Amino acid sequence: MSRMPLTQQEADPLGGISATPLVAIGAALAFGASIVLTIVHWDEVGRPLAAFIAIGLVGAAGVVAAISVAPSRAPFTSERLWLIVALAVAAAIAEYISTIGANTSIYDDFGSIVVGTLILSVAPYCTWVSLLLAGVISAAVLSLLVVGSASAIAVDAPVASLIALNSAAVLALAAAAAGYSAAVVDETLAWQREANRAALQRDAELRAGIARSVQQSRVSVLGREVLPFLAGVMTADRISVADADRARELAETLRHALKAGIESTWLDELAADLQSTRGIPVVIDDPTGAAEDLNDDQRSALTALLVWLGDAGRSARIHVALHGEPDRRGVSIVAEHGSSPPARRELDRFTAVARAVAMGAEATLTEENVKVELRHVPE
Amino acid sequence: MTLGLPGHLARDSLSRALAHGGHCAAWVCLGIAVFIGVMGATEEADPAGWTTAALSTLLAGILVLVARFPTVTLTLIYLVAGTGAVLALTVIVMDPAYGLRSTDNVMLALPRIALILVGGAGSGSLIAITWGALGYGLGEAATFLGAALAGGVWTPNVAAAAALGMLVLARGSEGLSRRTDARRETGLHRASQQTRELAIRHDYELRATARLHDTALSHLVAIAAAGSGPVDERLRLGIREDLSLIVGRDWAIDHAQADAEAGLLPQPSRPGGPARAADDTAPPTLEAASTAAVNLGLEVRMSGDLAVLGVLGPGRAAALDAAVAQCLVNIARHAGVREAEVAIGFSDGEVTVAVMDSGVGFDEGDVPEDRIGLRTSIRARIEQEDGTVRLWSTKGIGTTVVMAVPEGGE
Repeated sequence: MSRMPLTQQEADPLGGISATPLVAIGAALAFGASIVLTIVHWDEVGRPLAAFIAIGLVGAAGVVAAISVAPSRAPFTSERLWLIVALAVAAAIAEYISTIGANTSIYDDFGSIVVGTLILSVAPYCTWVSLLLAGVISAAVLSLLVVGSASAIAVDAPVASLIALNSAAVLALAAAAAGYSAAVVDETLAWQREANRAALQRDAELRAGIARSVQQSRVSVLGREVLPFLAGVMTADRISVADADRARELAETLRHALKAGIESTWLDELAADLQSTRGIPVVIDDPTGAAEDLNDDQRSALTALLVWLGDAGRSARIHVALHGEPDRRGVSIVAEHGSSPPARRELDRFTAVARAVAMGAEATLTEENVKVELRHVPE
Repeated sequence: MTLGLPGHLARDSLSRALAHGGHCAAWVCLGIAVFIGVMGATEEADPAGWTTAALSTLLAGILVLVARFPTVTLTLIYLVAGTGAVLALTVIVMDPAYGLRSTDNVMLALPRIALILVGGAGSGSLIAITWGALGYGLGEAATFLGAALAGGVWTPNVAAAAALGMLVLARGSEGLSRRTDARRETGLHRASQQTRELAIRHDYELRATARLHDTALSHLVAIAAAGSGPVDERLRLGIREDLSLIVGRDWAIDHAQADAEAGLLPQPSRPGGPARAADDTAPPTLEAASTAAVNLGLEVRMSGDLAVLGVLGPGRAAALDAAVAQCLVNIARHAGVREAEVAIGFSDGEVTVAVMDSGVGFDEGDVPEDRIGLRTSIRARIEQEDGTVRLWSTKGIGTTVVMAVPEGGE
């Protein structure tokens, strides 16, 4: 089986959002470790400026990591991983320069640890391949530094052993990151396969149930209109002028009903459902039927957002406009605040999910309403 | 396609993924220990290198078994073997010939970290932290003993402590993030199912409208064009055929009968279909089920026309009502969700009610004998009414119970 590995953020967007605080903690730990270990080996530091620059670079790598995984900036791209790794490796180089010629022990060097910790922190946002690659490349660069300082190291051991020991932290942490990423994506995809199989089985049952309920609902609706009229004519002796007029009127109504049915989409069904179950007016403005162009995941993301906005008094009224024009394909949602308007943080969850399904998403929260703009992003 | 993981599966999945990540790190640590042992044995002609490599390989092998079969026995075997390996390695490494000042060194950190990252049997943050802490404690004790035996200086290993700290942090934050319940709040899994349902419903609505349009429109146009005068027999026959096509023969006959009884229309001389069993009373409703839903705090989405229950006798309708109520009770008690769907339909002389949930699901064979809900309150009740119960349930996906009873009955 050969296909592009996914990230946890792509397979399980909510898992990616839950992991956000962990990145900040990881970044803080890496920064703290660089300060503590610099103090521990201060007697080896010959160039204090380089030592301070090293700590600064670790801080910068941590800040980049924490900022770039924010739900509002989803999805996390591989360029961000390489920027973080580059800054952390630069910190390791600065640390090497600060202790050059006097580094008697590699055990108290922070380079390998901070690079590994930062790679581990962003594991939910990267594929296992890129995490492993980041670990191996970082280890290779750090190995060059060990070769440079091998002569000063107090313990008498082969250079290959020193390289292996120095790489242990970054390789182990990168392996942990890659192992986690691969396993969580595998678990998620396995469940999704199972869920989709079950959904197909369920669809068959649902189709039968819905077919009957639709038939029934049509009968009840048309029972008041077309069918009683036809049944009346069927059992009558004569057709009156009023009957002929009524037949003309009903024919026109029926044509309109079919036209409206053809022009409506699943989104109109959702709006009607929300309106009847939540009692909130939901207006769909979709003159070109653009809702049909959304794929299954995009529909799920939009449904989840609308159901959530329509629930628990978050909105008093929802207006959804779809744009089908090639240059501005997307969805605009405006939800007027209800009795308990949503919070920004809650809204970010949905925009992050939308971004995970190839839609650009921007949410604006004002005193009157919530505006969410979803745009198609070519894959 | 379904996005993400549902809340009730996320816990175990994340726990297994974290354990796998830990195992990968442990294998790297042990692999590096093997490499250093082999390097020492071959480059420095140090026979202790082979012992180091052999012990690390053995430990890595047992960890493979723990990863494959995470049982308590294998976890304990790994911890005991690991403790022995750390003890032996401490005695080797703390030999004064290597010049190491204390047990706080990178060489001893490798097997110590591998011991902490055991993962172990069971899932959940607390269990994983317990196994890790046990690995740390045993490793520290073995190092202390080894240092005493070798005459070295014992100092707690900072790298091993840091590894335990990271494990606690990762597991702890995983447990905390679950409590925020973002998954349930977002309802992504539910939305995915709802989207499919909406698409199917829309498709059927459209087909139903089109079918009506195709069949009824020509008659309406013909009536409008005919103007006043006697009804053409071909038109009458066409309408009769089409009405029975659209809504079934019964409806057309019933309609004519009802109108005839009301003195509006002459009664047609056609064989009678099954009349509504409860024509003279208000059609039955799913009252017991509705009450159960309210009492249980379940949010029930209803689709279909409740009026079809009117074709059932009061006793049969009550049996169906009670069975649906029991389904809702089962959902509230066992499914781990607060929403359910009930779809009602009528076809081929049968009233069908489907009760669906997106909960934890179950295997019917695993239901204990003493649990009577499904067997007695649902299956037996429906079968007594000559009905059938079909059940689809998949663990982690949800359960659908479809009950069908023939029209009529007492």
